Amino acid sequence: MLIEQCAYSNRWRRVSPAAKGLFSACGIVAAFLASTPRTTIILTGLVTMITVLGAGVPLRRYLKVALPELLFLIIAVTTLMVSVGWNGHVRFHLAEQTELDHIALVCGRSLGSIAALLFFCLSTPMTDIIALLRWLRFPEVFLDIMTLGYRTVFVFIEVIHDTTTAQMARLGYGTPRLAMRSLGILTANLTMQVWQRSTDLHQAALARNNDGSLKFLESEFHHPVRSVCVAAIGGCMLIALALTGVGQ
Amino acid sequence: MKTSSPILELQGVSFRYPDGSVGLEGCSLSIGRGSRTAILGVNGAGKTTMFLHLNGILRPQSGHVFYDGATLDYGRNGLHKLRSRIGLVFQNPDSQLFSASVREDVSFGPMNLGLDTQVVKARVGDALRAVGLTDYADKPVHNLSFGQKKRVCIAGVLAMQPDVIILDEPMAGLDIGMQAELTRILEGLHSEGMTIIIATHDIDFAYQWAETISILVKGRCDATWEIPHIPNALDRFASHGIGIPRIAELHNSLVRLGLLDSGTGYPRSHQELVERLNEVVT
Repeated sequence: MLIEQCAYSNRWRRVSPAAKGLFSACGIVAAFLASTPRTTIILTGLVTMITVLGAGVPLRRYLKVALPELLFLIIAVTTLMVSVGWNGHVRFHLAEQTELDHIALVCGRSLGSIAALLFFCLSTPMTDIIALLRWLRFPEVFLDIMTLGYRTVFVFIEVIHDTTTAQMARLGYGTPRLAMRSLGILTANLTMQVWQRSTDLHQAALARNNDGSLKFLESEFHHPVRSVCVAAIGGCMLIALALTGVGQ
Repeated sequence: MKTSSPILELQGVSFRYPDGSVGLEGCSLSIGRGSRTAILGVNGAGKTTMFLHLNGILRPQSGHVFYDGATLDYGRNGLHKLRSRIGLVFQNPDSQLFSASVREDVSFGPMNLGLDTQVVKARVGDALRAVGLTDYADKPVHNLSFGQKKRVCIAGVLAMQPDVIILDEPMAGLDIGMQAELTRILEGLHSEGMTIIIATHDIDFAYQWAETISILVKGRCDATWEIPHIPNALDRFASHGIGIPRIAELHNSLVRLGLLDSGTGYPRSHQELVERLNEVVT
C-alpha cells in the first residue's frame, strides 16, 4: 500500500513511464558498471535524491519501503562475509581483505540497483508499468494476468480484512488453536471466493463484449518524447559517472 | 418515452443450473422500448438469471428471448451485436472492474467494440461526465468508495452506448445520498431515450421510479403492473412477499379517512404525498 500511495501521489505521476523506466534501467546498468564501492554509493545517493527531491516521494515512506530490501541485503552480505564451520566446535571465519573488497562492491551494486528499482516503482503506478510493457510488446497473456492479478489483490485484501474482522469479533483468534482453525476457515472461504469471482469476472467480460485479451485505452502523458530524452540524458550521465569511477 | 413495440421479450424461458436449481421456469416478460421497468423478487427468484439471458450470457434451455422482435442470435457476431446494444451492470462492482485505473476500466467495453482510439476517448469522457466521475479518471479503482465503484461500472456500460441498460440491485449498499445521485443519473439516461431495467428489493424505490413493475417468483414472471394500477391492487401485491409501496398504502388510508381526494391521482413519492397534504391543510 505504501508503494501504491507513493506511485499515485508523486510529482512525476504524469511523466511517461517509458522515461522513468529508461532512467531506472540506466541506473541498474550504471550500478553494475561501477568498479568501486564508493562509486556505487554515490550512484545510490544520487538516484535516491532524485526519487525523494525530484519525484517528491517522502523520505520516511521511502525508507519504510526500502527497509525489507535492505534487511535481505544485510542477511546476504553477512552470509558472504562470515562463514560457519565445524571442527569439533562451531567456528566463525571472516572473509579475507580482498574478498571483503569484492563483497563491498557487490553490496554497493545491489544498493544501486535497489535505488534504481525503487525510483521506478515509487514513481510509476502498476497500470502505467503494464501499459509500458504492452508498448514493449510483452506477451498479452502475461499482461492480462498482471492486470487481473493486480486488480484482484486489492479485492482479496478487502475480503481477508472483512473475514478476519468477523472472525475476531467472535474470538476466532483467541487462542493458538482457535487461530489455526480460523485461518483454515479463512483459506477455505478465500478459495471459494476466488472460484466464484473468477466466474463473475468472466461473465462481466462477456457482457462487455470481450472475446479474448483485455484491451484498454492507453494513458496519455505530458511531453513523452521530451521526457524520454531527458531520462536518456540523465541515464547516460549515471553510466558515465560509473565508468569514470568518480569517488575512486 | 415508452413506445408500444417491445425492445426485449422473454417467451416461456426456462433454465436450470447444473446443480439442478431453478433459474427460470417458463418466464415470459415484455420490456417496452424507452421504458423504465423494475423487476422485483425475493433472493433466488431468478432476477440475475433473467438478466444473464437478456445479455446472451445464458441461453434458454426452452423458450425464446427476442431483441427488437427477432430471436437472439447466439453466434459470435450475433452476440457481439447484442452485447453492444444491451449493457449489463452487475450487483457487485468488485466482480466486474478489470483494471485498477478508472479510465482504463471504462474504456474496456468500447475497446472491445473495436472502435477508434479517438472515439473511445470521447466516449470514456462522456460516460465519466454522465456519472459525475470526471475528476476520478486517473484515480485507482481500489481507492474509490463502494458507490463510486458502482458509478464506474455504470460508466463502463454507458461508454458502449447501449439501447438498454440493465442494473442488478443498483441501490444495494448505497447510502441515501448515493441513492439520490444514482436516481438522478438514471433520470438523465431515461430522458435521453434509454430503456432501463432494474432489479431491486426496494419496493418504495421501484414504485417511485418505474413505469412498470414485474414480480418474479421462483423463476416465473408472476405479475406485471403499470404503476397507476398498483394502488388498487395492493392486496395482490402483498401476497408476493416483497412488501407494498408505503406511499400507496398511506395514500389509500388517507383517502379512506377523507383527508385526501382520490380523484387527483396517486402520489409516487413521500415528497408528493406531503405536498398533497399541505395543499389540503392550506
